[in-house]
Amino acid sequence: MTGHRLHIVPTVGLLILAVLLATGARGASFTATLDRDTIALGEQATLTLRFDGDAPPNPPQLAEIPGLKSGYVGNQSMNLNINGVASSIVTYTYVVTPAKSGEFTIPIVASDANGNSISATPLKLTVTTVSAPTAAAVNSGNEAAFLKLTFPKPKIYVGESVVAQLDIYLRDDVQNFGNFQLTSSAADGFTPGKIVELQNQRRRLQVGNRIYTIIPLAVPLTAVRTGALTVGPFTASMVIVLPSQNEGGDPFIRQFFNQGEQKSISLATDVADVESLLLPDQNKPAYFSGAIGNFTMTASVGPTNMTVGDPVTVRVQISGHGAMDAIQLPDQSSLQNFKIFPPTTKTEITDQLGLEGKKSFEEIVTPQNADVHEWPQFSFSFFNPDDGKYHTLTEAAVPLTVKAAGTSPMPPIAATKNSAPENQSPQDILPIKENLGTLSQTKIPLVAQPAFLAAQALPVLAFLAVFIWRKRTDSLANNPRLRRQRAVAALVTSGLDDLKRYAAANQPDEFFATLFRLLQEQLGERLDCPASAITENVIDEHPVLSGATIETIDSLRELFQLCNQARYAPVRGTSELNSVAEKFEKTLRELQEVKA
Amino acid sequence: MKTSLIILLALVVAGNIFAADVASDFSAANELYAKGKFSDAADAYEKILQSGAQSPALLFNAGNAEFKAGHLGLAIAAYRRASQLSPRDDEIRANLAFVRNQVQGATFRESRWQGWFGALTLNEGALLTAALFWMTLALFIARQLRPVLVPKLKTTTRLFATLTIFSVSVLGLQAANHFWSATAVVVSTGATARSGPFDDAQSAFTVHDGAELSVLDRHDNWVQVAGGAGQTGWLTVKQVEVLPGT
Repeated sequence: MTGHRLHIVPTVGLLILAVLLATGARGASFTATLDRDTIALGEQATLTLRFDGDAPPNPPQLAEIPGLKSGYVGNQSMNLNINGVASSIVTYTYVVTPAKSGEFTIPIVASDANGNSISATPLKLTVTTVSAPTAAAVNSGNEAAFLKLTFPKPKIYVGESVVAQLDIYLRDDVQNFGNFQLTSSAADGFTPGKIVELQNQRRRLQVGNRIYTIIPLAVPLTAVRTGALTVGPFTASMVIVLPSQNEGGDPFIRQFFNQGEQKSISLATDVADVESLLLPDQNKPAYFSGAIGNFTMTASVGPTNMTVGDPVTVRVQISGHGAMDAIQLPDQSSLQNFKIFPPTTKTEITDQLGLEGKKSFEEIVTPQNADVHEWPQFSFSFFNPDDGKYHTLTEAAVPLTVKAAGTSPMPPIAATKNSAPENQSPQDILPIKENLGTLSQTKIPLVAQPAFLAAQALPVLAFLAVFIWRKRTDSLANNPRLRRQRAVAALVTSGLDDLKRYAAANQPDEFFATLFRLLQEQLGERLDCPASAITENVIDEHPVLSGATIETIDSLRELFQLCNQARYAPVRGTSELNSVAEKFEKTLRELQEVKA
Repeated sequence: MKTSLIILLALVVAGNIFAADVASDFSAANELYAKGKFSDAADAYEKILQSGAQSPALLFNAGNAEFKAGHLGLAIAAYRRASQLSPRDDEIRANLAFVRNQVQGATFRESRWQGWFGALTLNEGALLTAALFWMTLALFIARQLRPVLVPKLKTTTRLFATLTIFSVSVLGLQAANHFWSATAVVVSTGATARSGPFDDAQSAFTVHDGAELSVLDRHDNWVQVAGGAGQTGWLTVKQVEVLPGT
């Protein structure tokens, strides 16, 4: 029985371990949280889905809820290894934006890594409506902060740019504020510009029985359609620091040492009603191209003396107040006698709202014939919404002197080519060349021609040849035995020829004298001793010759003896001398193989 | 031998006749230019170029005619071709600079080193480098033949070796620039570069007539170019004239 138990315990243990491992491998928990459960209309909440364990590879799709928009922001993942157990945490983040106020329930359903549907506790989100405080509330001093929208005028023209003012009122006991964010800037029918704080215009104002600090923000708005338009409500959120009510002690001391407490607040403005009007058709100038504001214009044309086809630069600068982007040059397509290149434009904004500045146009035009006598009168029209009238600015015609190209004198740059200051920019291209010059055909560049590249190998080969020669010469100069060996070899070569010549001429004296000298030279070189010291005796005495064959030794001895005998013996015939020469040649070859 | 001489003579005569024809056409094109018929003059110069003849003066005049006819891109392309044949011609450089100044938007701006390297044609650079190379090796050979001259030739040899190395490096850059890079000169007004090499592709940016853009790639009848601020886009070959080098 005890033994049976001993078998069961590990089995059960293994089963538990397997279950735990399986649970651990599959143990994905899934939670959903909102960063806030109550937000004001116009604000956003952040929803986070957290998967501990196997997370789905793609962000889960949130259920669609009327009045609530959600957008995926991104994900974060973290791999953990605790006591050798690996796990991971993946979070998917969404932004939830309400379109209306009320209470919303967000169902949380997702699929895990295996495609199984999993769910978490639904989330509740309460969206409150923020409204502007009433006049009574403001005057009572109960509002620590509020927003006020001021629209400059009740009627505007479509295309007109105006600056609405958004004032942030902060009560005098607000110790600090920050994190101001506009949560909605409703301006239906307007194109809003960049909202900026008006510099150096903060001021203090008594409202009711409290003092408020006013921070003015400018909101540039451009009307884009006609009819009854509304601006606002603008809503915003910010954090303010108010004196803490929980700190005890003397109120006098507390006002100096109170650390305050932070409070998140939501602000909203009233709605401003605006009527957007169409631009009047009455007295609308023909050249009106949509500029609305109040502008001035300067223009210049130059040079005024030119040849047909020469470039003339027309510069127009329009300065003033209004939507600078809408300013365009009037249509110039009717100017038939000029070729007009597209103008370059440059806009310089001089105020922080982008409504003041100047716009410069520079265009190149070229007269097309010599009948052109002037750059025509130039007009720019705009509509001034302040007086409700169109205005036209006109620059007078500029007289031009245009010469036919064939009769033109040399252009200024050519005439003053050598004398003009270097910093003077040319007014025209240089004239054509009268001479054709040397004609050429299109050819492959030299660096791509095999012949040219091969030619570059010649000096390299020459250098290598000379280099090898130099090395051999130096080697010879530093080796006297080698030098002697070469000299003897040359001597023997020429000596053999001499021997054959003497044999043919039957001159035994010269033959044997030469033969003896050659034997001395060759043996001297082999035995490394002076040639004059070589006699028949060295054959038996010198150890070097101990390496030679007996036939070689015998031949050498025989040759020496022949030389000696020739001094006393009668003259021999040609054939005998030839055979001696052949024997000598054969002996030499054998001797040259003996190691010196 | 006799046949070879006849062929050579025939070639010389044919060449002279061809040159005479080109000179005549060139004068006629110049007359059109003088009369202010710039488009006709440009066509006349182009016709001569299509016959296979080219000279710096011919390309220069073609550039002038194209500019006067309002074709900045074609003018720049002609001047650049002229400059490649005669890079130290001040008149070509002046007119090229003048026309480049008329071009709007992002375009090529020659750097200082490009100006230096462009002072010689590729062939002139090759010949200069070869001369320096041969001279350097001649000095090395002289040192081998006459070792006694080694101390005297030491400084000269080093100087020529340094010049040769520099010249080879510059020639290498020139050759790489010539063979492996290309410039597209926009020859149509307000060309729209597309994000892909097909007509329906989204427009990437707009370039103006005369803009000189680096060619990055080619695909069928499309050329990928680099615009300003790291932009890339595709233009059709009809919108540009592609030239070797940058």
